Amino acid sequence: MTLRIALVILVCMALAVVESVGPFLLHLRSVRADLLLVVVLYVALHDDVMEGAALSAVAGYLSDLTSATPAFLYTFLAVLTFVVIRLGGSALKTEGGAQSAAVAFGASLIHSLVAALVFGFFTGAGFHLEIATLLWSAVGTGIAAPLVFLILRRLDARFLSEGPAAGMR
Amino acid sequence: MGSILKRFREPIFVIALLAVPFLLFFVRAKKGIELNRVDRALIALLAPVERTITGTVFAVSDVFRGYLALRGVGEENLRLRREGLRARSLEQQVVELRLENDRLRHLLDYTDKQAPTRLLVAHVIAVGVSPHSHTLRIARGFDDGVVKGAAVISPDGIVGTVAQLTGGYADVQLIVSPLSAVSAISQRTRSRSTVKGTGDMARARLEYAPRTDDLQEGDVLVTAGGSGFFPQGLRIGRITNVGKKPVGLFLTAEVIPAVDFARLDEVEVVVAAAPQPAEQVPVATGSGQ
Repeated sequence: MTLRIALVILVCMALAVVESVGPFLLHLRSVRADLLLVVVLYVALHDDVMEGAALSAVAGYLSDLTSATPAFLYTFLAVLTFVVIRLGGSALKTEGGAQSAAVAFGASLIHSLVAALVFGFFTGAGFHLEIATLLWSAVGTGIAAPLVFLILRRLDARFLSEGPAAGMR
Repeated sequence: MGSILKRFREPIFVIALLAVPFLLFFVRAKKGIELNRVDRALIALLAPVERTITGTVFAVSDVFRGYLALRGVGEENLRLRREGLRARSLEQQVVELRLENDRLRHLLDYTDKQAPTRLLVAHVIAVGVSPHSHTLRIARGFDDGVVKGAAVISPDGIVGTVAQLTGGYADVQLIVSPLSAVSAISQRTRSRSTVKGTGDMARARLEYAPRTDDLQEGDVLVTAGGSGFFPQGLRIGRITNVGKKPVGLFLTAEVIPAVDFARLDEVEVVVAAAPQPAEQVPVATGSGQ
């Protein structure tokens, strides 16, 4: 495992803590950013396939740990998101803050929709989709995306400046 | 064979990463949530960080609030004394009613089958990571006597049940989760129904309430007790948007939860009565509550 992978996992863990503590302290009900989804977007657009898929699975697994839904739902969805973004990667631009926010907004909407479908179908709980929650969550994810992208870009910039031996592809 | 594997190792790896979690999810979808050692280790790593952050923010906030509170402490003291007197008077009435209730139950040879329970105060330290999760993390676990499925309540009403736990922490599934269903009784009409979560934090759905029942807007629902997780008589919420279709057995209605889940700092977990440390308050005994 390269140092970069370890650092991205640490960033994921830190974001998981922020994602669980932030909304609680700020008493947020709906405007909740899916920060780990943004990490999946980033690795889908920047990492090589195997490393990115593995990191996406880790990000999804961290979501699974506290969602109290049957295990591996978010792990599966994170890898699926990685694959979909990777396939459409050439059409997606995330150079600027607005672009990454727009991509994250769209990805969050689709991710939520698929999550609701898979969850409802396989758990027997039925299909429940709260449009307001879905939209506000996408807005929160869009707002947070440029910041998460910035953190990961800075992390990668360190490795690029140190050369490929440091772990960056 | 080796060259094919090498050539297609990327798609094979990704397909495996998709297939394995999906199969595991598929197999476990309708079973309960069981944490393995890795899950527990990770929660044991992350939860103390969450607890420290939450505790620090609350401590700073308490100091600030304490300073602000000192400014109007005289008036508030007077108000609290008056409230204390009123509360004591009410307490006397409650004691009288309880004694009367006990006497009447004794006369009816009533035996409460419910196991003795106590309340364990727990701090909320975080919420579920995913925006679509409906969970709270509390700083109590099986080391404190909490078990999976234990009822979690607050002074306003019921909160949820323990879905997964480690030694020091537990994740509580809220009653608004689509996986939650609670047996309910209308406080006014005593008619039975089920409160089912839909994923909306502000509303749940009322199910299996017969059309013939006289349920009205604003009626308060309490837990039915029985074989469910929750003790009887705890507030669930109030009914809204009652609709009676021309056909069908059941009426449609929504329930606004009594608890604001976004503003819960502390909750109480109902656990089996055992040796009682000082901070734990008994709530029910073998003779009923």
